[in-house]
Amino acid sequence: MKKLLTLLVVLFFLGNTLFATGQKEATKGGKITLSMYTYQDLSDPVTTKNWKVLLNKFKSEHPNIEFSIEYGFNEPYHNKLQAMLVADQLPDIIFLWPGKRTGKVTGSGKIKDLRPWLKGHEKEFASIAMAPQGKNGEIYELPEAVTATHVMYTNTKFLKQLGLSFPKTHAELLAQGAKIRAQNLIPIAMTNKSQWQMQSCLLSTLTERAGGMEWFKKAIKGEGASFADPEFVNALSVIDQLSKNQMFSPGINQLDYGQALTQFVNEKAVYYIDGGWRVNSLKQELTTAQKKYVVLNTYPDIPNQKGQSGSTSMVAGTGYGMNAKLTGAKADAAWQWIWFYSGPEGSKIRQANGAITAYKLPVPQNADILVKELTKFVSERPAGYVLDAVMDAEGIGVLQTGVQEMMLGRKTPKQVADEYEAWVAKNDSNRKH
Amino acid sequence: MTQKTLKGLSYTALVGPALAIYAFFIIFPIFFSITLSFTKWSGLDIPKFVGLAQYREIISDPIFRHGLRNNLWIVAVSVFGQIPLGFVLAYIIYRKLVLGSSFFEAMIFFPITISAVVVAILWNQIFSPTGIVTALMRSIYKNPRYVFTMFQSETYAIFPVLFVILWMYTGTYMVIFLANLQNISPSVIESAIIDGATEGQILKLIILPSMLNIIFTTIVFAISGSLKSFDLIYAMTGGGPAHYTEVIAIYMYINTFKYYKYGFGSAVSVIIIFLSLVLITLIRSLFNRLENKYGA
Repeated sequence: MKKLLTLLVVLFFLGNTLFATGQKEATKGGKITLSMYTYQDLSDPVTTKNWKVLLNKFKSEHPNIEFSIEYGFNEPYHNKLQAMLVADQLPDIIFLWPGKRTGKVTGSGKIKDLRPWLKGHEKEFASIAMAPQGKNGEIYELPEAVTATHVMYTNTKFLKQLGLSFPKTHAELLAQGAKIRAQNLIPIAMTNKSQWQMQSCLLSTLTERAGGMEWFKKAIKGEGASFADPEFVNALSVIDQLSKNQMFSPGINQLDYGQALTQFVNEKAVYYIDGGWRVNSLKQELTTAQKKYVVLNTYPDIPNQKGQSGSTSMVAGTGYGMNAKLTGAKADAAWQWIWFYSGPEGSKIRQANGAITAYKLPVPQNADILVKELTKFVSERPAGYVLDAVMDAEGIGVLQTGVQEMMLGRKTPKQVADEYEAWVAKNDSNRKH
Repeated sequence: MTQKTLKGLSYTALVGPALAIYAFFIIFPIFFSITLSFTKWSGLDIPKFVGLAQYREIISDPIFRHGLRNNLWIVAVSVFGQIPLGFVLAYIIYRKLVLGSSFFEAMIFFPITISAVVVAILWNQIFSPTGIVTALMRSIYKNPRYVFTMFQSETYAIFPVLFVILWMYTGTYMVIFLANLQNISPSVIESAIIDGATEGQILKLIILPSMLNIIFTTIVFAISGSLKSFDLIYAMTGGGPAHYTEVIAIYMYINTFKYYKYGFGSAVSVIIIFLSLVLITLIRSLFNRLENKYGA
């Protein structure tokens, strides 16, 4: 049976190799052509424009390097990346995540370790961005940013009009709900149709709040703590209570990502929970007048909190990596792009567009007010883990579905916590010592 | 060279390349998929033989069972909704029982010309919590937080999807039936009318018996299409919320392409094929009986 299976796999890869040989020679007449698979929502005019500025700047400075670019976004990006990996047809330059999101790709041995190129530049980056991405300390992608996945954007004009102030506790926030809804406003604009938003943008922060970092680390490893503990149940209960008290956008589990942003920009909501990356869009979507009363906060303190007040969840950002097969001039050309994008030059451009770059840069005086606020937010707020960056994807699927079921009234926080812990204990790679 | 050898060589030269391509693209993937279904394989390592373990896991998974239930609803809507409705509409147009039949023919067929993703976005725009129908309901009920609760029900969330499936695909069956109705000689119907046959008698005694084969074919299409339905539902709901609108093909897709479980995904695909074959065999035997009854 084993021989048959091996034969089938060999045939499968032979087929892929046969079709892969059709790729044209990438270095012609001194010009180097690199294939690139990048993450970009081409239907978003703001981020697409910003991306093109970066690309054109690089092209003007490196006329000998040409790109053959394929675009993807959201789940389809990851699905195609996986197909490329399995078929052994990864492009030369690939957009990657530092953690579990593209962990199968970075851990496959098919992505080059960037440390030899990076040597000597490490201290120019924020320390969180230089965290190891592989078992032996490898850096597979050069992080472009430091990403806070939880920001509670607040419309202070509404708070003032309603005679309210930013709540200090979860209970205070719940108490504001009736007053806000009475004005036909949404207390917290948020979407969760794709499921990741609640986990990444709120539950991750609440998990650190409920248990603190020491407990969080132990729960991940299953060493003296677990996700069935009261701490995790407490974090889930906060979401359950918000849902039961009609604090979220109506039909939150049917709303596509982006619709909450629209609700907030159109002043239909007082608070808006999303990632720090949304400053990129808000910077251009909000008017100058609006920007004066939009403030970046974090979720207020929760009952039985053991973690840090005002904490958010943070992760080293995404960035570009290169195919392990690249050598010589092609590898150098790929590094030039990677360094351009996440190094000083690209970082300056992205900073002007609202990114908190992983490359250490002073904030320019003329920067947008929201960019300045986000920079301050990221540097001052204590941070915990983002669940989907540290836990296995399939288990995150179980958790996210459980959270939706809880919000729809079909499961209790305890049930969701128990089911997730059962999956993690049995399957998660963090528990396989 | 003998005539027989020459013939053999000719056959090999003419059929060989096509057969090789067919074997590589069709036979090999099927065989590969069936074999993989008995293994655990992440796509990167050597598959590990696990026997029927994954089949047991799939069948005991409540998400799969709910997906199967949703698939059976789609089969039911296709077989008992799209096909009868498609037939009735084709009959009305064929017999010109309504004015402007060409206009209706075009309008009923129109949805099938639109991409499933566009259809999904269109209906999402209508029924989404930020869509126009919800906005209308909010103003009628004077409740700014009104949403269609059906979309959040484990039991009923699939129903709006079924409605869209009915809306989208009925036109296909109507066109198939209409093309076959037009093959029936008008003189037969005219003779029946002269002999005093009613509309009901024409339908029951002339049209339906001559359409039996095509009805069987459309049912086979409907069953196989329903069991592999994916694009419209994935674009409309993604299988959510909480897997409520998930179908087996989405279950297969998520496990295979999101969680790197190629062996598991192959087992799901084998189950889809098996279900299709069972249902189609049942329908075949039912139609054989009907054919024997009416064909005699």
